[in-house]
Amino acid sequence: MAKMFQPPKDSFQSRIKSRYFATRRDTIISIVFATFVAWVLWSLIGWALLNATFAPNAGDICREDLHGGACWSVVSTRWRIVLFGLYPFEEQWRSALACVVMVVVGVLSCLPWFWSAKRMAPLWVVGFAVFYILMRGGFFGLSEVTEQNWGGLSLTIFIFAGTSLLGMPLAIIFALLRRSELPWIARTMALVIDTIRSLPLLSIMFTFAIVLPFVLPDGWTGDKLYRVIVGYALFFACYQAEIIRGGMQSLPVGQEEAAKALGLGYWHRIGYIVLPQAFRNALPPTVNQFVITVKETSLVTIIGFFDVMASGRAASGTAEWNFAVIEMYVFVGLIFFVFVFSLSRYGAYLERRLGVGKR
Amino acid sequence: MSEPAIRIAQMHKYYGTFHALKDINLEIAKGEKVVICGPSGSGKSTLIRCVNRLEEHQAGDIVVMGTPLDDNVDNIDEIRREAGMVFQNFNLFPHMTVLENCMLAPVLARRIERSEAENTAMQYLERVKIPEQAHKYPGELSGGQQQRVAIARALCMAPEIMLFDEPTSALDPEMISEVLDVMVGLAEEGMTMVCVTHEMGFARRVADRVIFMADGEIIEQGAPDQFFDNPQNERTKLFLSQIVSD
Repeated sequence: MAKMFQPPKDSFQSRIKSRYFATRRDTIISIVFATFVAWVLWSLIGWALLNATFAPNAGDICREDLHGGACWSVVSTRWRIVLFGLYPFEEQWRSALACVVMVVVGVLSCLPWFWSAKRMAPLWVVGFAVFYILMRGGFFGLSEVTEQNWGGLSLTIFIFAGTSLLGMPLAIIFALLRRSELPWIARTMALVIDTIRSLPLLSIMFTFAIVLPFVLPDGWTGDKLYRVIVGYALFFACYQAEIIRGGMQSLPVGQEEAAKALGLGYWHRIGYIVLPQAFRNALPPTVNQFVITVKETSLVTIIGFFDVMASGRAASGTAEWNFAVIEMYVFVGLIFFVFVFSLSRYGAYLERRLGVGKR
Repeated sequence: MSEPAIRIAQMHKYYGTFHALKDINLEIAKGEKVVICGPSGSGKSTLIRCVNRLEEHQAGDIVVMGTPLDDNVDNIDEIRREAGMVFQNFNLFPHMTVLENCMLAPVLARRIERSEAENTAMQYLERVKIPEQAHKYPGELSGGQQQRVAIARALCMAPEIMLFDEPTSALDPEMISEVLDVMVGLAEEGMTMVCVTHEMGFARRVADRVIFMADGEIIEQGAPDQFFDNPQNERTKLFLSQIVSD
């Protein structure tokens, strides 16, 4: 008897048949679509792999190439410009190492073991210090390289890490002020958030990079790079603050009341009850915000920094290589893809993990 | 006579222009068990929520265990530590295990060692007969089990007073008795209790005094026998007849 209640097992063939070839119309659509996909894939493989030129310094061969394959030669010849920008050639190992340090610190802080202020704070302080010493030099016999000459991937990573690390605490503070019980604080914060959100990011960057030095007293300005990161962080914080506030609002009021009734003070209630649950509720839009931020780092090119995107354009921008612009953009695109895709996957992992206690 | 556990004098509470509580005068002695009943909207929940400042009162005095309830945050926190509260909707913290729910406040607000807090928590979880659920999350428990955890969580702070705000109203009928049993046990041990509830059987069994409220006022109060068998006020009679006929 028990056997009867087992769901019938579909064979692979019958499943394919029922899903794609159930009726004559389905069959036609399936065949047409499959042919199209196969053609696209085949063309792509032909272009990117089979007919492609990989050897460095093979620009001439590429140009005479009759197969029309991709010229990856531009990447294998000029990849250093993409990864390191204007950084001095002999010192590029420092930029590479700094990059690795930042990525390792980033990956480590994704591990649950590091999720406490006691572990996270030293990790990032050390990470930034090592990055700065390696990149900037001037210590330990390393020659000095000013921020103006930083570039490529390490610059992109630095801007992203700086923005997130400055922006996230700021976002939490903004969100808390925004729901302050004192109306004038809440309203002022709302005004600030709405104002910054309604300005284009570019105008904020210009303001911080170019206008701010006129306003601030000398010696307060710091390098343009750090001002721009502060601008980015402020912009990030205003969006993220609203995301966090949304997460807080979706909490039942009873949660904070229960915490109050137990005699927990404001910071305990926020730190142990409200924020952990708010972040869990707001995880998908938070990941979204980080993804957007990664990609927005490319805007620093506007004020004269060579991030990985601008470096890629520069690398294929010479008379010798300007026919291979597409290959270069594909390469830069892949770099962004690796970062953003890992970020999204990590977000999905977090959702699964945090879902454990729910229902 | 010693200082009462709770003393409320000439207390008024407004929501905007709505007069929610009118001239409340109430003293609850240490060890006394008081049941507050009344139709919905009568202000009974508001009254006990004023005791630990989940609602702010606009006039009059509230003194809990000798500490005046004023705008001093230290006083408010002190009173909240001394007065545990159990809610209609349990309000357990869903992102923490049952054990963590019970340990959080003792560790943070009473600064008790984690190991000691854990021992105490397990002790109270045994009291409410669910030690085996300690490492589960609230979402994995039934309503009755969640409410018992909520009681254990409040007790872990070693409060002098327990406030119950309709603790059985959100429960399926078959789970009501398991929660009431715990409350009866607590009463027998001499805990000072203030319960807003419609469980008249419970009131008869454990209450020293039953208070009837309507329209934000205390209409009538008395010992259970007198209150149930010989109510004086017309509104009390009407209310009791409605409850019984249900």
